[in-house]
Amino acid sequence: MSDQPSPPAAAGGALPPPERPFDLRGRVALVTGAARPLGGAIALALAEAGADVALAGLTGSADEHFQVNSAANQVWSLGRRHLALQVDLTDPVAVEAAVQRVEDEWRRLDLLVNAQDLLFAMPFGETSLEEWNATLAANLTSVALTCQAAGRVMLRAGYGRIVNVASVAGDRGVMNMTAYAAAKSGVLALTRALATEWARTGVTVNMVQVGWYEDQAGIGDDPEHRKTLTKILPARALVTNDEVTGAVVMLAADSGYFTGQVVAVDGAATARI
Amino acid sequence: MTVLDRLRLDGRVALITGSGRGLGRAMALAFADAGADVVCSARTQAEIDAVADEVRAKGRRAAAVRADVTDSASVERMVERSLAELGRIDILVHNAGGRTAGDGRPLHMISEADWLAGIDANLTSAVSCIRAVIPPMLEQGRGKILTTASGLGLRGNRDLNMYTAAKAGVINLTRSLALSYGRHNIQINTMALGLFPQTEAQATRWGGGRYIPVGRFGTTWEIGPVAVFLCSPAADGINGAVIVQDGGGLAGGVTPFGWAPRIPLPGASA
Repeated sequence: MSDQPSPPAAAGGALPPPERPFDLRGRVALVTGAARPLGGAIALALAEAGADVALAGLTGSADEHFQVNSAANQVWSLGRRHLALQVDLTDPVAVEAAVQRVEDEWRRLDLLVNAQDLLFAMPFGETSLEEWNATLAANLTSVALTCQAAGRVMLRAGYGRIVNVASVAGDRGVMNMTAYAAAKSGVLALTRALATEWARTGVTVNMVQVGWYEDQAGIGDDPEHRKTLTKILPARALVTNDEVTGAVVMLAADSGYFTGQVVAVDGAATARI
Repeated sequence: MTVLDRLRLDGRVALITGSGRGLGRAMALAFADAGADVVCSARTQAEIDAVADEVRAKGRRAAAVRADVTDSASVERMVERSLAELGRIDILVHNAGGRTAGDGRPLHMISEADWLAGIDANLTSAVSCIRAVIPPMLEQGRGKILTTASGLGLRGNRDLNMYTAAKAGVINLTRSLALSYGRHNIQINTMALGLFPQTEAQATRWGGGRYIPVGRFGTTWEIGPVAVFLCSPAADGINGAVIVQDGGGLAGGVTPFGWAPRIPLPGASA
């Protein structure tokens, strides 16, 4: 692919309207962060819409792989093909191998959903370089690595849908979350730039910006923190997994004109001052 | 209930303004396909009659209610008739609006009457329509409202003063209303669309789409699935959001500005 801007001629036309909306039958998806309840719910929703799904976690640990496998079983129970991958998403060689594995098994990769998340909150003055680097690696570098590896397959095919799941913390300042916010905001910048770079290749890149949600490890676990959160959020409630999956499916099934953009699933949290 | 069930509009009644043709008609047909009954509204009776017939042909109920959204009394009557004909209003898509006389000229060349007519058509019309449907939605205990804005409500454009100001108004109106009515289970969002030409003249004037990052215009039907999603239960967690469908226009800017040559790190070989 050239790194020069495309010549000023319309590249490719619109796809014809689908017979069924939001139809992912015949598509192959890779969902990362599938060891977490949100990632698992996304994998399941893609399978419900018809996709075959490969699932990965974030660290590749044995504990995590157990969770990834149980999400994969749910995909299997819907009659879709499934593949549980054990991979450290911060290791470029491992990510490349995981994507290769999907391609070897199913000969294609149409959809990538980055749903991995490593929550980290600490006063900035007490944050070590190791913690900073680990937060950036898990939340931002992992997204870059999966986009690069999956993107190569998608660019060859001339078709791809990438959905990065990030956080309101990348949009608004949150005390004690400087490193996490920098990483999530980085995902937004990556999404916009990559969407632009690949705009004429048939690959779209979008982001779902999720508010504080029910199943996020560490958020809302502490009853006092939960009480404060539900009091200050406009929706008076945390976001549920079911509220996120529809946005991912809509973007995964999109016809190609929706790119470089953010769908905020946050119950109006970022509509407010 | 699977995600595909939550992406349906079965049993819902949608009122869509500006639905006699173009994007409004595309939404009316997509909503009917998703299971909704549709009230089609616009100023031209023959056009909304035709779209209502297309909705009925899909096996859904439909009504064609003529209205002028710049006249709040007409809007009130539109809502009354919609309720009388189809019994309820679960969804309002306020799609009416557009460029008006005088816009596109420098500000000092625009008359106050032209300015006010544009603000009426694009911003005050949204206020009238939303104000009229809120009471029935409050009574029903739920509602979805979708306004239509534009990338021009988020960025400026030379001499498009009325349109950019009115659409920016629609966007921030949407956010504030979302905060007012979210607690009553009414979600209010806005769609900012890129270039979806409706005439050959527009397509030519806009350069055939080659300055859009994806290299083409939006196709009219493509608004349908996104609008259906935003008005479906799958989007219950989305409120006060600006949803942009623009071929990468706002993300990358018009080409070639969204592009840089190769610049290696210092010391690296190119």
